[in-house]
Amino acid sequence: MINIGKSVIYMKLLIRLSLIFVMLATAATSWAQVSFTVDAPALTALGQPFRVEFTVDKEPESNSLEAPAFEGFDILAGPSISTGHSIQFINGKQSTSYSCTYTYVLMPTAAGKYTIGAASIKVDGKRYSTKAQPIEVIAEKGNTQQNKGGNNPNPESRIGKDDILLRLKVSDTELYKGESLRASLVLYTRTNIDDIENFSLPAFDGFWSQELSFDNTPSREEYNGRIYETYKLTEVLLSPQQSGDIIIPEASLTARAQVVVQDSRGANPFFGGRQIYHVSRNVKSNPVTIHVSEFPAGAPASFNGAIGNFRLTSKMPEAKIESNSADQIEITISGSGNLKFITAPKVSLPESFELYDTKVVDNIMVNATDTSGNITYTYPFVARSAGEFTIEPIRFTFFNPAKGEYETLATEPYTITVLDDGTASATPNVERYVGYGSTMRQLDRDIRYIHLGTLPAKAASLFVLTPTYWLIVVVMVAIFVVVYVLLSKRIRDNRNIVARRMKRADKVAIQRLRTAERYMNEGNRHAFYEELLRALWGYISDKFNIPVSNLTKERIREELYRRNVSMAIAEEFCEIISRSEEAQYSPSTDGEMSEAYATAVDIMSKIEDAIKR
Amino acid sequence: MKQLYRYIIMFVALVLGFATTLRAADASVTAAAYWDEGIKAYEMRNYKEAVEAFEGIVALDKASAEVYYNLANAYFKLGQSDETMSRPFASGELGKAILNYYRALKLDPSMADARYNLELAVDHTNDTESIPQSFIATLWQGVRSTMTSNGWCATSLVMLALLLIVVMLYLLSANILLRKIGFFVAIVAAVAFLLSTSLALSSRNALLKDNRAVVVCNDTTPVHASPDSASKIIRQPSQGVTVRISREHSNWTEVVFADGEMGWIRNAHIEAI
Repeated sequence: MINIGKSVIYMKLLIRLSLIFVMLATAATSWAQVSFTVDAPALTALGQPFRVEFTVDKEPESNSLEAPAFEGFDILAGPSISTGHSIQFINGKQSTSYSCTYTYVLMPTAAGKYTIGAASIKVDGKRYSTKAQPIEVIAEKGNTQQNKGGNNPNPESRIGKDDILLRLKVSDTELYKGESLRASLVLYTRTNIDDIENFSLPAFDGFWSQELSFDNTPSREEYNGRIYETYKLTEVLLSPQQSGDIIIPEASLTARAQVVVQDSRGANPFFGGRQIYHVSRNVKSNPVTIHVSEFPAGAPASFNGAIGNFRLTSKMPEAKIESNSADQIEITISGSGNLKFITAPKVSLPESFELYDTKVVDNIMVNATDTSGNITYTYPFVARSAGEFTIEPIRFTFFNPAKGEYETLATEPYTITVLDDGTASATPNVERYVGYGSTMRQLDRDIRYIHLGTLPAKAASLFVLTPTYWLIVVVMVAIFVVVYVLLSKRIRDNRNIVARRMKRADKVAIQRLRTAERYMNEGNRHAFYEELLRALWGYISDKFNIPVSNLTKERIREELYRRNVSMAIAEEFCEIISRSEEAQYSPSTDGEMSEAYATAVDIMSKIEDAIKR
Repeated sequence: MKQLYRYIIMFVALVLGFATTLRAADASVTAAAYWDEGIKAYEMRNYKEAVEAFEGIVALDKASAEVYYNLANAYFKLGQSDETMSRPFASGELGKAILNYYRALKLDPSMADARYNLELAVDHTNDTESIPQSFIATLWQGVRSTMTSNGWCATSLVMLALLLIVVMLYLLSANILLRKIGFFVAIVAAVAFLLSTSLALSSRNALLKDNRAVVVCNDTTPVHASPDSASKIIRQPSQGVTVRISREHSNWTEVVFADGEMGWIRNAHIEAI
């Protein structure tokens, strides 16, 4: 038991020891990473001394530096050694940094391209070396030293005309519409600039522009035979939206330069007899003309202004789908060019397919040279009827500026089988209406057919308002007027209903009296009196608009009285009725009938006269 | 002497009259031949010949609504089918088709086929702008277009006759029922008379005071701000766009577009309906 316990304790100790060892080893390896670098300007002017610095971040072994030969340069000074050591505590953690710098001051002896060879140094018994550094020496134009160290007391004149420059640098000046170019605004200076004011970007009219992120570390550059410090102020990606010569106007800024003047009188010994002046300079950039060419002629129909270099990939739906189910076609365009401006390729589906709004997903990155990335177009559709259909190739055309020609990408023709889901019409009828929702869509339309038969006569000229037209109107109205005049009496009578009735009463009575007269001549006594009575009763009935069934002799007297007919006449009328009723069935008497007839006619005309009066 | 002159004049008049009738008869024979030729060509899908034949009838001034309709159809089919062209209607066929459909409808507003085809042809233009119209105006024009002006004129005369007869019957009739019927028929006839007369007059005015024109050029017809080719181009209407003629100046015409904008266009680029 005890042995086992002891062995456990040994085991634990062993593990701890090994852990410590591992930690030490890690620390040692991290410690062992030594950086040994060289710092030298890439560009320098003839007759101007410059510094080359070798820096190591771990204490080297003394005198272990092996400097390169510095061919083509005179060593003015060096190596001077400076060491730095610092200890930092951050959140209770200690970090140490060390640097040891060997500095040489060199003077170029001749213009040309040189290489500062690799230097090596020994740290902890190990040798590290720097990379070889190319360096270009140019012979500057003009005597610039005169300005630098001269005794000119006027600080303004210390800054030469070309000492501060602003340049707009473009990556390309000849391009096609829609292509992109990079434009950067760079400040060139040969003095210390401590402030920049009134900085205004040029107006990029006629371009689509996007600002780019850029590396703003200063660098040195030769321009017009002189070496400048360059500071990049801004960088934009420009894409011309119109053809022709587009001028990017000048940008401007005010740079404040620092000028140190060595005062010859030594006015202020405390500050070492120097005076610092600030000199402001307005600088303007050069206007740049960009020649934008239009796309060459002969663009295919599927060309939509895309320019660059693209690839087309497609994701077609399953080869067999059910009708009335939703599916989609995916087209992805990837590559570089004016991706932001391209439009969705046209997809033509069979007629019974309903195409819905295209979805666009883009993943576009703007980098230093152009825009690149990909755009995915999703075309959702629903196949309404069953059958086998072919999806025509989807074409995308772009202009390749590198080749100077149009390139068309196309998908393969794709055959798709739509299976009947039971609701769709199975008959593959082309001339069919496809209904969806409340709208009815006709599959195809065409103009109706021409008129056949013989040549129809030219249409008659306008008839309305012609003399013939007026003649017809006038004749019609004239006929109307003539008829009106001719029948005016009758019309007037018709206006009065009573008068009409009365007239009718007379007419009927006369008719009946005539019939009665005939019976009288025939000697038909019974019929004669019957007709005579009918004439008398009917006359009153019609005249006063009273049904015969309601008529009595008293009623007749009353009605006649009301119409101002004399009592004698009324009595006489009643009497003739009574006499006729009696005579109808009594034996005949000569001359009796003709007397009754005459009395009846007489009394009727009397009543007529009385009423009309 | 005078007598002789009279004879000579009479003879000359006779000959001239005979000649004109002869020429007229000759023209109608030629027109009928053109018509048959045009139909045959159209049936053979030889639309170019069909256009030439129907245009021949128009040139002879023998064109009826049907001739314009067939001509328009031939233009439309020619523009659609000609394979030598880079795209459909490349040389203004659509504009010509629309122009001739309008002409057919002008002669016979009740021609349903022409109306249908015109609508279809207008769909092929990118002219989405249409003159906004009130409901009443649309209804009025819809009713008006069911007959020609002469048809409305005849209707109005029949209605006038009916009105006068019914009024006369009303005045003469003794029967109450007949009088009542007569009264209402007279009112209806009077309204119908007024309506058909105004439709006939409206149709006549639309025909005589028609200042519409159709752009018949191909798709790049510049419309300038002033009658001068150096002036600004304010618009580029496509073929088939209907405009109204405002005034003319040398070989330029000022036109008004559906949206009210005005501009100058070359005479050759438009054709009055």
